[in-house]
Amino acid sequence: MPFAGFNMPINYKTGIINEHKNVRNHSGIFDVSHMGQILIENNESYLHKLEKYIPLQLKKLTKNRSHYSFLLNKDGGVIDDLIISNIDIKDKSYLYIVYNASRKKEDEEIFISCAPNAEKIYEKNCLFAIQGPDSINVLKNIIDIPNNMNFFDILISKHDKNEIIVSRSGYTGEDGFELSIPNESAENLINLLLKNENTMLCGLGSRDSLRLEAGLSLYGHELNEKITPIEAGLSWALDKERLEDENLNGNKVLSDQLKNKLSNKKIGLISTSKSMLRDGMTLFDNNNNEIGKITSGCFSPNLNKSIAIGYIISEFNTDNPIFCEIRKKLELVKINNLPFVKKNYKKNGSIYE
Amino acid sequence: MGAYMSEKKYTKDHEWVSIENEIATIGISNHAQESLGDIVFIELPSVGNSVKAKDEICVVESVKAASDIYAPIDGEIIEVNNNLENDAAIINQDAENEGWIFKMKISDSNQYSELMSEDEYKQFLEQ
Repeated sequence: MPFAGFNMPINYKTGIINEHKNVRNHSGIFDVSHMGQILIENNESYLHKLEKYIPLQLKKLTKNRSHYSFLLNKDGGVIDDLIISNIDIKDKSYLYIVYNASRKKEDEEIFISCAPNAEKIYEKNCLFAIQGPDSINVLKNIIDIPNNMNFFDILISKHDKNEIIVSRSGYTGEDGFELSIPNESAENLINLLLKNENTMLCGLGSRDSLRLEAGLSLYGHELNEKITPIEAGLSWALDKERLEDENLNGNKVLSDQLKNKLSNKKIGLISTSKSMLRDGMTLFDNNNNEIGKITSGCFSPNLNKSIAIGYIISEFNTDNPIFCEIRKKLELVKINNLPFVKKNYKKNGSIYE
Repeated sequence: MGAYMSEKKYTKDHEWVSIENEIATIGISNHAQESLGDIVFIELPSVGNSVKAKDEICVVESVKAASDIYAPIDGEIIEVNNNLENDAAIINQDAENEGWIFKMKISDSNQYSELMSEDEYKQFLEQ
């Protein structure tokens, strides 16, 4: 299936549901090399320029930690969501940023304008995620992982004489790791990981159903240039001090939104029938008034029902019934708090909660 | 005329049809089930409905997408595979036998002869 200019597998041999369950119960490996990875020198002038787009205090980022953040446009809308980390590589301090494949062009224009010597390391490094409760055991047989490594910690380790970037993170709601590894060692590492009989390669399909169960947003669905992080229910990821800073794009819009009532709210939904809820379906109240839309929907293997994330108008009282139009019929759907499936992160990993 | 089981034929919409005593049994092809992936739900047609070839008559939902199933020929729906109601994944396991979806009493057997043979369907898939 073509995805953001890459040919990506939706699933491997055993299918989406089996891959999904394997990640929840054991572990699974995702090739996410299509994503953007860039290194930016930790230099005050670069950081200042980047702070126009990124709502964090970049000069104060803790070493060896990752942060979920955004690139913001002038109206506070989301150009992209990304993971930004502060790490040293060969005694030099960098920001290491992982961003969406579908937004490479927009993001890199910004990165390069702020830091002309930014290094797009995805050209020489693959990116793999191993996700699921067994990830730590599968991985530590092959590379050194300190016992006290927490969710969203990041460090440099070694494999095959090559330095690799190891972060305890992922986008499935499970414990897991992401590994940025030079192309020439990637296949060898994957084959070593796959020697564990309880792990398997997983495709985009299970990646989507896992992140949806975990209530995590996906760019192009819950996030776009017309939605701010606050409207997307992600205000926890904003550094509130930065909202007072004129240098931050959309700072006024964002601080106003924090104080006032929003026009829309993000909700989780569960189907009451066997029909699938899917992206783009319209939501109605019991008087047939349109109240919102679904932005992501899938079959949840854990709940054995269809689940969805969407936006509805804030004034709608969620004690009232909501209907979803599925193939010209209105079907009752139930509100469900996000996430649908409890997250299982290693200590202090409450950053997404 | 004695009971006979016809050759299995295929449509461009990836349904298979076999005929026994003017009763057609219809399902989706093994190729269709492979490309749909895990099937989680099927909205079965209503027994008693008279339908025309190409009418959308039911929907198969997989984890990836919803797909319409069309009537391959004119006729009346006389039976549906109720086993699929509880376990639509039977289609993934055995699309062209146990995973049959519905049966029709057909009104025009010429329409059946116009469908693709197994070899023609294979060629069609390669195009």
